[in-house]
Amino acid sequence: MKVQVDGVEIELAAGTSAIDAVFEAGGDVPYFCAHKYLSPVGACRMCLVETGSPRKEKDGSFVLDDATGQPKIFWFPKPMASCTMQATEGMHIKTARSSEVVAKAQAGMMEFTLLNHPLDCPTCDKGGACELQDRAFEYGYGASRFGFDRRHADKHYPLSDFVILDQERCIHCKRCVRYFEEVPGQEVLDFIERGGHTFIDTEEGGLPTGFQGNITDICPVGALLDNVARFRGRNWEYDHTPTTCTLCSVGCSITVDARNGRLERIVARENREVNEAWICDAGRFGHAFASERRLTVPLVRVDGELQEVSWDVAIAAIRHGMARHSVADLALYLNADSTLEEGVALEALADAVGSVHVDHWPRYEVSLDAMPNGAATLSDVATADAVVVIGADLGEEAPILELRILEMLRGGILPPEYAHGTAIADLRLVERPARKPEKLAVIGKESRLWAHAGIRASSNGHNALERLSRPDTAELQAALKLLTDSEKAIIVLGADVLNGASGSFAAQLSDLATRTGAKVLAIPAGANSKGLAALNLVPREGGLPFARVAEAPAAFISRLDPGVRARGLTIVHDSHLTATARLADVVLPAVTNYEKRGTTVNLEGRLLELEQAALSAGEAADLIRTLTAVSEALGLRAPVRGLKGARELAAQKLGIKLGELPERGVVHPFRTSHVAPTEQVHIPKLWTERMQPSIQTLIPANLQPLPMLGAAPVGGDD
Amino acid sequence: MSYFADKQPLVADIFSRYPDSPQGRRSALMPLIREVQDAEGFVNGTRLDEIAALCGTTATEVRSVMSFYSTYHTLPTGKYHLQVCSTVMCSLAGSDELWDHLVETLDVQPGEVSPDGRFSLQKVECLGSCGTAPLMQINDDGYYERVTPGKCARILDSLRADLQPLPDNPVPVTVNAEGRQTLANGEVVGASITGLGQLPPIFPGGEA
Ligand code: SF4
Ligand code: SF4
Ligand code: FES
Ligand code: FES
Repeated sequence: MKVQVDGVEIELAAGTSAIDAVFEAGGDVPYFCAHKYLSPVGACRMCLVETGSPRKEKDGSFVLDDATGQPKIFWFPKPMASCTMQATEGMHIKTARSSEVVAKAQAGMMEFTLLNHPLDCPTCDKGGACELQDRAFEYGYGASRFGFDRRHADKHYPLSDFVILDQERCIHCKRCVRYFEEVPGQEVLDFIERGGHTFIDTEEGGLPTGFQGNITDICPVGALLDNVARFRGRNWEYDHTPTTCTLCSVGCSITVDARNGRLERIVARENREVNEAWICDAGRFGHAFASERRLTVPLVRVDGELQEVSWDVAIAAIRHGMARHSVADLALYLNADSTLEEGVALEALADAVGSVHVDHWPRYEVSLDAMPNGAATLSDVATADAVVVIGADLGEEAPILELRILEMLRGGILPPEYAHGTAIADLRLVERPARKPEKLAVIGKESRLWAHAGIRASSNGHNALERLSRPDTAELQAALKLLTDSEKAIIVLGADVLNGASGSFAAQLSDLATRTGAKVLAIPAGANSKGLAALNLVPREGGLPFARVAEAPAAFISRLDPGVRARGLTIVHDSHLTATARLADVVLPAVTNYEKRGTTVNLEGRLLELEQAALSAGEAADLIRTLTAVSEALGLRAPVRGLKGARELAAQKLGIKLGELPERGVVHPFRTSHVAPTEQVHIPKLWTERMQPSIQTLIPANLQPLPMLGAAPVGGDD
Repeated sequence: MSYFADKQPLVADIFSRYPDSPQGRRSALMPLIREVQDAEGFVNGTRLDEIAALCGTTATEVRSVMSFYSTYHTLPTGKYHLQVCSTVMCSLAGSDELWDHLVETLDVQPGEVSPDGRFSLQKVECLGSCGTAPLMQINDDGYYERVTPGKCARILDSLRADLQPLPDNPVPVTVNAEGRQTLANGEVVGASITGLGQLPPIFPGGEA
């Protein structure tokens, strides 16, 4: 299909919208209401262009222009919204670049949009990153002829604890309304009143938890603001660090915004393959711990009390404490959200000291790599024709996976990609999409996803799979039939079935997958469990699993909080003074995953990079550096010193090249190398207490009341 | 207390007017709101939830639709809901003074009901009877035309005695019990699936 944009002819795929045609041609159109992953509705009228098309005679030939002998272009009499218009063969499009009509129409629209806009950019959190500000500068008149009072409305209207609405700033683009209807499928926001009085509100007593924060990203103005980050910094003051969320195994792309060494805000970053443009509320709002009550220096127990010391003193204390032990006594435990590089470093140290007590937590004790039909990706889930979720509470285990399943229910339409990025307006996305709940079966305990499922079956985790293979109820029968009848079915497995699952479980699952042709997506227990499982980080012959840390002769515990200490020397490496740290002999300060460079592996087996945000963490160190210090205390040369060494070792052991990954990451077929009993049950919980923004964040403790003018004199001065 | 629980035939009748699909169910929103408002004078709180549940939507949507129309009320209205036209023609003919007078003498502001429960007030846009400005509509009963100070006083006196004077003209188009728009003379106007066959024939010779 050939289309002319401002006189330049380009070749386009059928179905392209006029707005994408313009961007594809390297042009620009201002827009507010269109959004990559939402239906185009033509609400803001900013994306006006002039368009015209050739017409055909009855015999199929083009109506020709008498003067030029070329097909005559029949122009629409008025500018048209390009976001809701499909580009067609031979269409001509004129933007503001070549059409004065368009330039004037857009400037006029801008003036209209700004009529009631408060223009409080100097105090607005969106300032500097505001679509309205930018577009007004680029396409506006620079002046307004509106000399009257602007609309006044509530400027601090809490839609929930996390999202504050400034009703004056809203430009009625309807993105937030469409988001809730189309993405999480909750019709909780809508326009109230009409015309200039229109405002956004909910009648449901607040916004549902889970995915509400996304509306603060997509609001083109400063009307919807993240309350955790509100008034904490201007956009140009933040250090923006693109990295990966490691609160769960989805591994959403995020941008961490820090100011003066504090983590102030997390926003979603687009990753078409993983989280599209969305992240969950825990990932967005739950970052308080990164800047609060951090451990910044090592602590050593002296006369029963933990005292702040230097790293050298801490290393000496470890050496002294280890004098009573052989080096092989030291158990090594790490959190399963540690990076692959950290895992490699710990494995190497375990090998070097000959310790058998090695473990990462949380993890399951089953390997499901060898499933038939290959591994499932998140895009596979979104474009599947059936999904059966067994024993999972996605809200706690992998929230964005829930959104991708909902995406599947509304047709699994993935917007196409152009040179300018994801389609700005995919005309196949429609408002109030028809959903196909019959394509989703949920087996297990009741969860948020139940409401969307056509087939629901209550079941215990331990025998759910067995019952599905030999269905004993109508619902289970329906679920099995759904799997069998579909071409691209996916089985999603969660904690309830994976806890305590064993080799026979894997055989059973593989049997079911073979029978039904379904792909299997097992949600790993920890953010990087999938990557760490490829290393030898489980108890070796005679070793103690993490559940039995209390029996270990001596232990090094990295960012885990079992609440007990080992029998002998206990070294805790953590970012906070946890219950375990309080019991420890030596506490080494750790950085959080927001301050690390490294690689994590998500539930698809996708390698994703972590970058280091500019947070102040004192003398805190990541696991690789900490292990170097521990090695020194043990009188060894650390087998891995630094990130580069860890990556070289990873290349040797796993045959993968880490570092400089593409932004979307790459899927790598990981194999679980070792399985071992865990001896405890993993209960997934996304929000933990330390993630809650404390009142100190919201209202700084050192806040001084501003000096206020005294009461107005009686009688006034008017 | 549920409003529709004991009115199942009515609910069934309203739903029967729309396609039997999720979208069709949502279409029943307007008559359901109208039903509650006619009975209770306003729709809010649990009534929103009830209508939402019937239509398979949320209370937010119900409120959104209601607030789009000035003729739905989320606050209680009086026995006589006085709607004063405030558009240009009526305004030139004295509707602003009429409004001020009503607010003062009845001592109610928009959104309030007088203590005796009789009166509530609302400014409305052009009612399409500019030739007889200033215009006032009471409930859905009809138009009171050329409401001069003297006429206003007479109307209020009668209303206080619960003797509502006959309107000068009925409201031009209302919705009848079958949910069809009708003229005051009973003639059905507008289209519906069932009513399409009753449209007047196209006059011969006219342009299609
Ligand atoms: S609050 Fe923001 S996203 Fe929602 S309609 Fe207004 S401007 Fe658009
Ligand atoms: S879904 Fe998981 S990875 Fe994504 S933002 Fe939430 S916690 Fe982070
Ligand atoms: S009308 Fe808003 S982007 Fe097209
Ligand atoms: S202006 Fe009042 S009826 Fe038209």
